[in-house]
Amino acid sequence: MEPEVSIEGSSMIQVAVVPIGTVPPNVLRDYYSMLLPLHTIPLSGISSFYTEHQKSPFAHQPWDSGTLRFKFVLGGATPSPWEDFQSHRKTLAVVGIVHCPSSPDLNAVVDQFANSYKSYPSSLVDRCFAFYPNDSQLEEGSKRGGNLRLFPPADRSTLEFHLNTMMQEVAASLLMEFEKWVLQAESSGTILKTPLDSQASLSSEEVIKAKKRRLGRAQKTIGDYCLLAGSPVDANAHYSTALELGRLTGDYFWYAGALEGSVCALLIDRMGQKDSALEDEVRYRYNSVILNYKKSQDNTQRVSPITFELEATLKLARYLCRRELAKEVVELLTTAADGAKSLIDASDRLILYIEIARLYGSLGYQRKAAFFSRQVAQLYLQQENRLAAISAMQVLAMTTKAYHVQSRSSISDHSIHNKGIGSDKADGGKIHHQSVVSLFESQWSTIQMVVLREILLSAVRAGDPLTAWSAAARLLRSYYPLVTPAGQNGLANALSNSSERLPPGTRCADPALPFIRVHSFPVHPRQMDIVKRNPAREDWWVGSAPSGPFIYTPFSKGDTNNIKKQELVWIVGEPIQVLVELANPCGFDLRVDSIYLSVHSGNFDAFPVSISLLPNSSKVITLSGIPTSVGPVTIPGCIVHCFGVITEHLFREVDNLLLGAAQGLVLSDPFRCCGSPKLKNVSVPSISVVPPLPLLISHVVGGDGAIILYEGEIRDVWISLANAGTVPIEQAHISLSGKNQDSVISHSSETLKSRLPLKPGAEVTFPVTLRAWQVGVADTDNTRHSKDGSCPSLLIHYAGPLKSSEDPNAVSPGRRLVVPLQICVLQGLSFVKAQLLSMEFPAHVSETLPKFNDASNSSLGEHVNSESKIDRLVKIDPFRGSWGLRFLELELSNPTDVVFEINVSVKLENSNEDNHLADQDATEYGYPKTRIDRDCSARVLVPLEHFKLPVLDDSFLTKDTPTNGIGGGRNASFSEKSSKAELNACIRNLVSRIKVHWHSGRNSSGELNIKDAIQAALQTSIMDVLLPDPLTFGFRLVKDGLESNNPDPVKESDLPESPASKSSVLAHEMTPMVAVVRNNTKDMIKMNLNITCRDVAGENCVDGTKSTVLWTGVLSDITIEIPPLQQINHSFCLHFLVPGEYTLLAAAVIDDANDILRARARATSAAEPIFCRGPPYHLRVLGNA
Amino acid sequence: MATTACFIIVSRNDIPIYEAEVGVAAKREDAAQLHQFILHAALDVVQDLAWTTSAMYLKSVDRFNELVVSVYVTAGHILYFIHTRLMLLHDSRNDDGIKSFFQEVHELYIKTLLNPLYLPGSRITSSHFDTKVRALARKYL
Repeated sequence: MEPEVSIEGSSMIQVAVVPIGTVPPNVLRDYYSMLLPLHTIPLSGISSFYTEHQKSPFAHQPWDSGTLRFKFVLGGATPSPWEDFQSHRKTLAVVGIVHCPSSPDLNAVVDQFANSYKSYPSSLVDRCFAFYPNDSQLEEGSKRGGNLRLFPPADRSTLEFHLNTMMQEVAASLLMEFEKWVLQAESSGTILKTPLDSQASLSSEEVIKAKKRRLGRAQKTIGDYCLLAGSPVDANAHYSTALELGRLTGDYFWYAGALEGSVCALLIDRMGQKDSALEDEVRYRYNSVILNYKKSQDNTQRVSPITFELEATLKLARYLCRRELAKEVVELLTTAADGAKSLIDASDRLILYIEIARLYGSLGYQRKAAFFSRQVAQLYLQQENRLAAISAMQVLAMTTKAYHVQSRSSISDHSIHNKGIGSDKADGGKIHHQSVVSLFESQWSTIQMVVLREILLSAVRAGDPLTAWSAAARLLRSYYPLVTPAGQNGLANALSNSSERLPPGTRCADPALPFIRVHSFPVHPRQMDIVKRNPAREDWWVGSAPSGPFIYTPFSKGDTNNIKKQELVWIVGEPIQVLVELANPCGFDLRVDSIYLSVHSGNFDAFPVSISLLPNSSKVITLSGIPTSVGPVTIPGCIVHCFGVITEHLFREVDNLLLGAAQGLVLSDPFRCCGSPKLKNVSVPSISVVPPLPLLISHVVGGDGAIILYEGEIRDVWISLANAGTVPIEQAHISLSGKNQDSVISHSSETLKSRLPLKPGAEVTFPVTLRAWQVGVADTDNTRHSKDGSCPSLLIHYAGPLKSSEDPNAVSPGRRLVVPLQICVLQGLSFVKAQLLSMEFPAHVSETLPKFNDASNSSLGEHVNSESKIDRLVKIDPFRGSWGLRFLELELSNPTDVVFEINVSVKLENSNEDNHLADQDATEYGYPKTRIDRDCSARVLVPLEHFKLPVLDDSFLTKDTPTNGIGGGRNASFSEKSSKAELNACIRNLVSRIKVHWHSGRNSSGELNIKDAIQAALQTSIMDVLLPDPLTFGFRLVKDGLESNNPDPVKESDLPESPASKSSVLAHEMTPMVAVVRNNTKDMIKMNLNITCRDVAGENCVDGTKSTVLWTGVLSDITIEIPPLQQINHSFCLHFLVPGEYTLLAAAVIDDANDILRARARATSAAEPIFCRGPPYHLRVLGNA
Repeated sequence: MATTACFIIVSRNDIPIYEAEVGVAAKREDAAQLHQFILHAALDVVQDLAWTTSAMYLKSVDRFNELVVSVYVTAGHILYFIHTRLMLLHDSRNDDGIKSFFQEVHELYIKTLLNPLYLPGSRITSSHFDTKVRALARKYL
C-alpha cells in the first residue's frame, strides 16, 4: 500500500529525489522544500522545451489549461511489483541533488548519480541538480553537459526561478518520453504483468484468455500515460476501450483499475468543479471499483489485491471526506479498518491505519483519529527498533490532545483559556459547577494512563529522556491513586533514570511531584503593619484603621474579599514569607532538591529551600524571598527542582484539582490522602511592592517571654526598639490598646520622642511600669493565660520622611508596631473577707489619768521618740484600757506556692491643723509585716484608732454628716442622695489611706486591691470610727489628797515600774478619786453625771440595801457644765468593804443637747435624751475580807 | 451471555461515570484497555449520530474488528448537562437483548439521578447500582 492515496493520485508522475554525494540533512531539506512547490507544471509553461518529433498520440491535450503533476519522493521508492498495473507507481524520473561545497569532485558526483539512477529501471528522465558550485566547478560542469545541471550561487528566489525552469524542461522531456512510449505500445503492443498473473498456471485456456486480455490491459496502461501526460480526454477514450475489453474478458482486476483511471480522468477534466452530480458519479463508479477489486480476489492466489480494494476505499473516503458526509465516510473507514486483518504485510497495516487516522482527523473525529494513531504506534512499537520507537512516540504525542493528556508545553495557547477560568474563580470566589466540570473533561483515566505509559515506553526506547520524563511525570502526578506503590516506585525510577541522561538544569513543562498549594500568605506580622498616612493631621494614623467599635460593617460586605486581596503590600528589601503546603501522596520518599516561589514579574528574589517528604505525607513550609523593586508581584506557582528536572508548579492547577476532588470528578485529593486537614481555598492575592519604609522592631529587655506577675504586682519593664529598616524614623507615637490598659501605669514616650529621628540601626530603650490586674473568677482554674488576649499592647505609630525619594508626589505610608506586653498574671494573695471588729479593754483606775482617746498625741509621741519596731505595735495600755477600739480584720489566703509578706501601712492626712503638729500631715503608720506561707491563710488586723478626730465639731458634721441640724439651715437643700455620696466620699478617703503592700521573693511586690472590701466593711460604722464621743470619762486615784491635775502623759508612760502598787486600793480605807469628764465639742455642755460602781457580779454596790461600797461626795445627779474643749474634775471618795474587783462607770445625760450631739448619738427625735457612757474602769481592791 | 462486553456510562463533557467489564471472557488487562479505547473513539460517531434520530437506542454505531459498540442516548441531550450516553461494547449480535439491557439500566440510572445525594456528573460509586447492572448483563447479554 501507499500512503496518501487519492483519486487524483493516478495522474501524478512519481519523481525520485536522491541526494548525491554528501548533502547535509538540513541543506537537503532546504533544496527539497524548493522543489516541492513545483509539483504542478502547467503545460503552457513547457512548450518552449517541447518538440513534437512525431504526431503526438495525445490528440486532445489541453495545452492552455492542462498540467503535469509531480509527486516528489525524497530518497526514492523501491520499485513496486504493481507498477505495470498502475503507471503512476513507476518512478518515471530521477532528480539528483548535489551540494557542491561538500562534493567538490564533479566527476565522482556524476558517476555516483549514474549508479543510483540505475536502481530506477522505469525512469525515463534523469537530471542531476548541483547547487552552489564554485567557479572551477562551474567551468568544468559547463563543459561536461549531459544530465548535470549547475545552479550558480544566487539568492533563493533566483534559485527557485532556475529550478522552475529546469523542472519545466524535465516535464517537457517526460512528455516526449510518454509520447514515445504510447506510440510504441500502440504499434507493437506491450507485455504487462502483475503479481496476480505471474502466479497463474498457464494452461492453454489461460494463454488464450491472457491474449484476449492483453489488449484491454494495454489500453488501460495507455490511458494511464495519457493521464500522466495531462490529457484526461485521451485517457478517458483509452479507458473506455479498456473497460469494454476488460468486461468482455472478465478481467475484473484490470477492469477496476481502468475504472479508477476513468474516475481520475473525470475529475481532472472537471477540475475545480464539485457538484452533487459529479460526486454521485464518482461515488457510483468507485463503489463499482471496490466491488470489482473484491471480485478479483481469489483465495487460491498467494498475492491478494486486497490492498487495491482498501486503497480504493480510502480514496473514496478522502474524496468524500466532509463533515456532512461523515456517516458515509465513517462507514467506508470502518470497512477499511476491517480490512486490516487480511493484510499480510505489517507495513501495509501501518499505512492503512495512518491513513484512516488522518481521514478521521480531517473529518473532525479527533478521538477516532487518536484511536487509530494509537494502533499505529502499537504497530511501530512491535518493530522494536529505535527509529520505529521515535515514530511511535511522535504519533502518540499527536493523540495526547484527544485523550487530554497533553504535555503542558504543547498547550500554551490553551492555558490562556484556562487562565480565564482561573481568574473568574478568583474574582467571583465561587466557581460554577459547570466550569469545574469542563476542567476535567474526558477523564478516561484508564486509557489516559495507557497512553502515557506507551509514550513513556516509546520515549525510553527512542532515547528521548525529556519526553520520557514528561510522560512519567504526568502519569505519576495525575494517576498516582491508580498506580500500585511498586508502580509508583517504577515511575520514580524512570524519572531519575531519564534525568540522568538530561543535562543539569533541564526544564520541563510538566510538573511531577509534589503537589503544592498555597497555605497562607501571612499578612504582615503585626509588627509590620502599614498604615496610611494623613499628612494633614498631627495624628496621621487616625482614620487609617477601621473606625468604630465594629470590625464588621455591613457596608463593606460586598468587597471584603477584594479588600482582603488587595491589602497585601510588600516592601522593597524586607523579606517576606509565603506558606505553601507540599504533599507527596506516593509510596516513596520524595526529595525536593530545591523549591522556591516562581515570580514572573522579575522584581523578586526567591530563596530556594530543599526538603524531603516521607511517603504519604504533607508538609507546610515557608518560602521566602525579598522584593527587589517597586511594582506588582504575581506568584502563579513554585519552581521545583525534583527528580533532576526543573518544573514550574502552578497553584491554579492544584486548586482546580482540589475543586474537582470536592465535586467527585477527580480520583483523589492528594492533600487529604496525606492526612492534611481541609483547607479553605486560598487565592493568590494581588501583591504590590512599595518603596522602603522604616522598620521598627521591639524586644523586651531581659527576654521576650511572658512577664509573670502576681495579682497586683507592680514592675518596670524595659522595652527596646530598634530601627531595622533603611529609612530613618521621623515620627513616632505610643499609645495603648487591648484589654487591661489600666495595668500599664506609665510608659515613657518622651524617651522615644527625644531620640527622633531614629537612624537606621539606632536603638532606644524606655521603661513601662506595669501593675498586674486581678485574675477573674472564670479563669482562676487556668493559671497561665497570657495568650487569651487579655494583655494590653503598646501601639507605636511611626513613619519615615513624608516624601520618598523615588516618587515625590506620593505620601509614603507610616507603620504601626504592636508590642504586645505578654503579661501572665498569676493568682496571688487572695482576699477572703474584711470585717470590722470592736474591742473593749477595761482600764484600771490609777493615779494617773488614762491617756484619753486623743490617741494621735500619744502614739505620735511613741512614734517619734522610738525607732524600734515594737513600739509601732498597737499597744493596749492596761491603765488606759480601750473603749470602742476598732480593728479592721482582713482575712487573706495564699493559694500560691510562694511566701508572701504583708505590710499594712496607714497614711494619715490630717486636714485639721488646729491643734496638732504640722509634720503630722503625711504621717504613715507602719505595722509589722505579716508572713503568709504557701497554702495558708492569715488575718491581718488594721487598727483604726488613728482616724478619730480630736474634736467633735460641726465642721466635720456639716461636711460629713449633713443630717445635722446646725448646718441644716445651710444644708437643708441637701438631699438624702447627696448626703450618701458625701458619706461614701468620706469612706473612700479613709479607705484610700489604708494600703496593703505585699512582697514575695526578691523582686515581686505589689499592692492588694481590697478597697471595695474595706469600704463594705466600714460602711455601717464609719461614724464610730471617725468621730470621737462628745464626752470622755475617766477616773483617777488621788494620792494624799493632791491633785495632779495635769500629769505629763509622756512621763507617766515612761515610768510604769509599779503600776500595781499605784493602782491598788486597799479595802476598808477611804479612797479619794476623781472622775474626769472632758468635753470634746466646741460648745458648752450641760449635763447630769452619774457614777456607779459594780462588783464582779455586776451588782450595783453603791446603791441599794446591800451595798458593799460606802462613799462620800456626790455620785448621782451631778449637774455640771463643761466649757468647750475643757475638762472638769469631780472628786469623791469610795470606801470598799469587800476586797475584789470593782468596775467604775460614769454616765451622763446631756441636757439641752444640740444638733451635733444628736446627730452623733443618732437620736431620732429632739425629745430623746442624749445619753453618754464612759468606758468601764477596773479597780482592784486589796485586803482581806 | 456475551463473551466480551464492556459497559460504560458517559456523562456530560464525555466523562465516564461508570465502567464495568460484564463479559464472561477471562479478564485481560490489555483487552479491557482496548475496550475503553474503542468506546472512547466511538463517542465521535455518537455525537453526530445522536442528532440524526429521535430514537434513544442507536443500535450499533461503531465497530472495531469484531467488537461492536451499541449506544443508548438518554433523552436529556437537549438539556446538555444531563446528556448521558450508555455505551456497550460487545461481540454478540443480540440486538433485542441489548436494547432491553439499555432500557433497564437507564431506569436504574434515573433512580441514581434522583438520589439527592448524587451530584449529577460525578462517578457512580454505588455498589448496589453495580450489582444490578451486572445482574442485568447476565440476564440480557
